[in-house]
Amino acid sequence: MSALTLKFAIKSKQRFDLSLLTPQRLAGLNAGEIAALIIGTTRDPVTVGDVFKLKGNEAAKLRLVGTNANCDRIGQRMTEGEIIVDGDAGAYLGSLMRGGTINVSGSAGPFAGAAMAGGVIEIAGDAGDRAGGIVVGESFGMRGGRLTIGGKAGAMLGERMRRGLIVVSGGAGDYAGARMIAGTILIKGRVGRWAGYGLRRGSLILSKEPKDLLPTFGDCGTLDFNYLRLLERHLRATCAQVKFKPRARRLIGDMAVLGKGEMLILA
Amino acid sequence: MSTLKLKDVEIVETFAEAFPMVGTRIIITAPTLEWALIAARTMTGFATSVIACGAEAGIERELNPSETLDGRPGVSVLVFAMETEKLQRQLRNRVGQCVLTSPGSACFAGLDGERKLKLGASLRFFGDGWQMSKMIGGRRFWRIPVMDGEFVCEEKVGLTKKAVGGGNLLVLGRSHAGVLAACERAVKAIGACGEVITPFPGGVVRSGSKVGSRYKGQIASTNDAYCPTLKGAVNTELPLDVEAVMEVVIDGLTAPAIAKAMRAGIHAIAQGGAVAGVTHISAGNYGGNLGPHHFHLKEIIA
Repeated sequence: MSALTLKFAIKSKQRFDLSLLTPQRLAGLNAGEIAALIIGTTRDPVTVGDVFKLKGNEAAKLRLVGTNANCDRIGQRMTEGEIIVDGDAGAYLGSLMRGGTINVSGSAGPFAGAAMAGGVIEIAGDAGDRAGGIVVGESFGMRGGRLTIGGKAGAMLGERMRRGLIVVSGGAGDYAGARMIAGTILIKGRVGRWAGYGLRRGSLILSKEPKDLLPTFGDCGTLDFNYLRLLERHLRATCAQVKFKPRARRLIGDMAVLGKGEMLILA
Repeated sequence: MSTLKLKDVEIVETFAEAFPMVGTRIIITAPTLEWALIAARTMTGFATSVIACGAEAGIERELNPSETLDGRPGVSVLVFAMETEKLQRQLRNRVGQCVLTSPGSACFAGLDGERKLKLGASLRFFGDGWQMSKMIGGRRFWRIPVMDGEFVCEEKVGLTKKAVGGGNLLVLGRSHAGVLAACERAVKAIGACGEVITPFPGGVVRSGSKVGSRYKGQIASTNDAYCPTLKGAVNTELPLDVEAVMEVVIDGLTAPAIAKAMRAGIHAIAQGGAVAGVTHISAGNYGGNLGPHHFHLKEIIA
């Protein structure tokens, strides 16, 4: 058995809905059946076979090669197995996923990991707006698991997030951690305006102090946090090359809402 | 019948009778090893025997910064009780009063298991609403605001029902000093074994007890058969020249851990013991009808 590899083989401006291509949906299907799955989003019924060249048969280890930003919903609602994306991903990458791992060598569009409840998404490049955030019809954003973004994240990162961990190696856009209910977001680069807007609980950990802080956060001064030791050791063991002192300026808020969250600006 | 001797110390052909207990292990860390030890010693104080202390507890070993979750020096502590409910209450009270209060401390689970005891899950209420829960790598921790910063405490700790309490060695000798020194060696050797503690003062008991008493309401009383001052009056177990008897009691997370510790203890006692006046190594039992675990000295040193 070798990894099931789907190589993107045509030029097209159409967007594709790849939500059917998850290990749990492909399990037990033969190559012909997989090739017949419809992934088009227009009146032309485009199938997997029209767009991808298939190789291998192990659906639990799915490889998508040469994909671009038109390839939406990769790994959506995934529950198990592994998807390796050798290329870019479109919108809704791993949104609503519950388990398994997704690895993207390029960048992802908006809603990456939105409302995910478990599993791991690692994006080597950038992520669009609303990564780890909320999708239409859901009450909460990310509910568990881990989302790692090697580059920059867009606006509304982790909106309404309830549990889980987001690590961004680059910066993030406006409203990072907006309306967060709980969970942890670590951003190594600069963030845009209104970071922590409506933060109820949860930790928004920033390596760099934002240019403008919301006035609804209360300053607790710079302190030592043993929690940061636990977090740093966990991150280094699992996913990220991080190094920081267990010391941070703590801003508690957002007092405009529940006010039990925190922004930790690493010292 | 030939007598079994180890370095001229007689190993009495008997067995230690031990009981099933429930046990758990927690890890205490602090800014320095000294402060981790202070917290650990405090929470394991007054925990020699379940007869009146509620729990038996002790320090298992010291931990390097590389061995702890937060990379600080730490100490692992074992706590045992006869029932899960009692262990839970003892753990909450001891960690709450002795570890939460200790400067710079943090407290983590040191044992996994299907069944869990609450740790931070009940202590979090000290935070009065300001406590924060954080999930890290599938484990939940509570950050409880205190006057020196935050007390980080894991939500739950596993428990084992396979723990064993009351493994023991009796050391008989012609001099008090010789017996005491032998027991000190045994406690040190047992301390290196892991998964076990010696809960009594310095690991040594000088007042072994028998079940019952002539006085109403007294459930245990002095083990007269081993009291050197009563040799002429009771049905004694002691040769005439024995001047002192001391006992090393061992609690462990598993029965094999007790056996291993007893073996290490016997060898440490025998080492140079005869010269200093140690004559016999024996063990305490109640005839074998009370406890399901029997550790025969002969089999242990075989």
